[in-house]
Amino acid sequence: MSSAFKIVLLAILIFLGKAEQAHAQKGPSTKYKCMIQMTNYAGEGAYIVISLIDPKGAYEKTLYVMGPDKKWYKSLKEWDKFRTKKPANISAITGASITGGDRSVNTIEIENSKVNSGYKIRFESAVEDKEYHTKDVEIPLTTEGLSSKSDGSGFIRYVRFSAN
Amino acid sequence: MTISIWRYSHLALAVSSFLFLALASLTGIILAFQPISEKIQPYRSENFDQADLSQVLPVLRSKYPGITDISVDANEFILVNGSDEKGEKLSVYVDPLTGKILGTAGEKNEFFEWVTGLHRSLFLHEAGRFVVGLTAFLLVLITISGIILILQRQRGVKRFFAKIQRDHFAQYYHVVTGRLSLIPILILALTGTFLSLERFGLFNTTFKSQEIDFDALKSGPPANISDFAIFKKTKVSQLQSIEFPFSQDVEDFYTLKLKDRELTVNQITGEVITQTAYPLPLIISKLSLNLHTGRADGIWAAVLALASANILFFIYSGFTITLRRRSNRIKNKFKADQSEFIILVGSENGSTFYFASAIHQQLIAAGKTAYLTELNSYTHYAAAKHIIVMTATYGLGDAPTNAAGFQAKLIKYPQTGPIDFSVVGFGSHAYPDFCKFAFEVNNLLAQQPWASPLLEIYTVNDKSPEQFNQWAADWSQHAEVPTTLSAGPLKPRQQRKQPMLVMNTTQVHSNGEAFLIRFRPKRRQKFSSGDLLAIYPAADHRERLYSIGKIGKEIQLSVKLHANGLGSTYLARLKAGDSIQACLLQNPDFHLPPNVPAVLMICNGTGIAPFLGMIDQLSPKTNAHLYCGFRGEASFQLYKQALEESRTSNKLNGLHIAYSREGRKEYVKDMLERDRSLIADVLVSKGVIMLCGSLSMQNNVSTLLEQVCQNQLGKSLSYYQSRSQVLMDCY
Repeated sequence: MSSAFKIVLLAILIFLGKAEQAHAQKGPSTKYKCMIQMTNYAGEGAYIVISLIDPKGAYEKTLYVMGPDKKWYKSLKEWDKFRTKKPANISAITGASITGGDRSVNTIEIENSKVNSGYKIRFESAVEDKEYHTKDVEIPLTTEGLSSKSDGSGFIRYVRFSAN
Repeated sequence: MTISIWRYSHLALAVSSFLFLALASLTGIILAFQPISEKIQPYRSENFDQADLSQVLPVLRSKYPGITDISVDANEFILVNGSDEKGEKLSVYVDPLTGKILGTAGEKNEFFEWVTGLHRSLFLHEAGRFVVGLTAFLLVLITISGIILILQRQRGVKRFFAKIQRDHFAQYYHVVTGRLSLIPILILALTGTFLSLERFGLFNTTFKSQEIDFDALKSGPPANISDFAIFKKTKVSQLQSIEFPFSQDVEDFYTLKLKDRELTVNQITGEVITQTAYPLPLIISKLSLNLHTGRADGIWAAVLALASANILFFIYSGFTITLRRRSNRIKNKFKADQSEFIILVGSENGSTFYFASAIHQQLIAAGKTAYLTELNSYTHYAAAKHIIVMTATYGLGDAPTNAAGFQAKLIKYPQTGPIDFSVVGFGSHAYPDFCKFAFEVNNLLAQQPWASPLLEIYTVNDKSPEQFNQWAADWSQHAEVPTTLSAGPLKPRQQRKQPMLVMNTTQVHSNGEAFLIRFRPKRRQKFSSGDLLAIYPAADHRERLYSIGKIGKEIQLSVKLHANGLGSTYLARLKAGDSIQACLLQNPDFHLPPNVPAVLMICNGTGIAPFLGMIDQLSPKTNAHLYCGFRGEASFQLYKQALEESRTSNKLNGLHIAYSREGRKEYVKDMLERDRSLIADVLVSKGVIMLCGSLSMQNNVSTLLEQVCQNQLGKSLSYYQSRSQVLMDCY
């Protein structure tokens, strides 16, 4: 077989595979404990959203929201666009906002098929009157990424995961 | 009008902040119910106070393997966070010793969250927070100026909680509740201000945990969690929260946040890795939040709710007071130099103006030219014939703010024509210096060569309309204003005339002679020597007042016959058995106090009348002296027998008589001059000095008394007058 054919075949297989995944409402998934350690900033509690980002860099799913008051969601600009375009019930995955210096441990659920498939996990953060960090932390959704400590660039000092 | 700097500040601050203050108070009342509503939940364990971490942590770890942290809230509820065996989120209140679930942590109450947002920032973000913070700061200033105003009003720190004079509802409760809630309000305002300043970064409350040297962490020897020394000595009650190690790796550790510091603990060995005390601003910040919200104590939260409600009442009552005060502003129809009647007012909070305005309006209605102003505005009055001074007393017998400059101006502007004056003092017997300033003004005026007293000084206790109307009636009689003045809408004096039977009367032959006449009221009525009998010689509005002496059950008057005297000619015509209509008026300001240790009775002419009655009632324990002045022995003859009997029966310890036209030709004042030390002794021993007779006698004696008081006692005469130790009833 020519290499060109191989590539086409692979592309078709991937496409089919993806289509199949898309149709299956929910594949097998794993729960992870996700710990966010904040920096020592002064001020109000930070609103943080954990999102699943697809290989093209687009939002695919909201994994967790730290911050209960909808009126502040617009300060998380990029995610808010996704949220308003594709409304989803996030009440089960919403918790309290986190203040400077604090730690928050939450459980997030990720489909096994998304791991090591080019997806990313994004942590974006905003504080009422302070700056907004679209990618405070963004880590590749790989086995390695889920086992190491990832430093943040904004209000988050670092993020860690562990299998539940 | 009469605004001191503190009152002005108090008002200006309140006016500039009341809208936001009202909003903050209203939301504050609602928010006080948040801690109260939380505390009634049964999530607080009985074991809370004694449990220590070495007991609690093993239990909770084995019961909740997915535990990530424990926190203790202001209600002393212990909250376990983590995940359950299925990996679902777990957030429950537990008993620290058994691990039993006491309740599930609910969502935050949206209503309270919404109200909190309004309270903190008016939903206006930073601008709103700034406004609310500024309002809190203004409230601090309002409270401080309010405390100073109470101190001024109550005359000092010691009398801070003494009785408050009641002017009207708004004023009274503004002060009464102000005293009670100033502490919680000051705390609310200070903590609110602090929290705002902190919010704007004026205090650095950030906290940095110490860096951990991960290379130095020991991975052994392993110890059991229940044997960790630090857990053994730390009580749950000291705890804010514990974060559990994220994994079993030695680099993960326990983080203990206590009330005052943060610790990290090696999860294998139990060693304390780092220990960092919280900075002071952070501790103050937490304390401020506790005090401001009442979250730590339900009773305090209730106190804060009351204090907030009180702020709303202050806004209402404060504006009521201000509006009342503004409505008392002076509106003059006539100019000062055109007016025959000058009314001078000394008032701290404006209430005396109410009485003054009533008189002012009634004089104008009667077709007179009258001018109303403050004592401080005293000047030369070209057309004045009468001066009326109505004044309150402020502080420790001081002048009210708008009368403080009167004394200087009185000397600066001598009046040209002769002027009759009358002083009405307003005050309350609740204070020691009753009407002291009014007495001072009266004494000052009496010393002016152009001024002559139309009446004795009158005092009005606690705004008594009866007392005021008594002055008004007497004054209008003397000033010959053909109308009955009264305190505005208040009814003029109730003239309850009653029939009096003439019992006997002494003979009178010629003008200038005095006679005694006795009445018996046909109806039973209580009266004392020193009270007044009003008679109506022409059966019209004209009345004449006589001081009475009570002899047995009878009223005795001493009257001097004047050729054209309306009253005296009328009385002289009466015979035993006649009946007249008259009115008995109480005059408690000139009663002999019961059980008084010493009394000096000073009189001239017919002023002896009340003393004749008082001597009759004297207790033998009282050291009593009578000083009386007559023209000559003939005038004294009328009283001689009765007085000499009193002298021999020792009711009177001293009888001193001066004749102005015979013998040594001396006056009462000259006898008193020799007995200066007796005067001083009587005043020091809480005795009283009573004067009855002509105003010129009173003037001379007052001058002498003032000298004795100043030189021998170091106090002013008005000091003793305000304490009812010097009583005067002259005409």
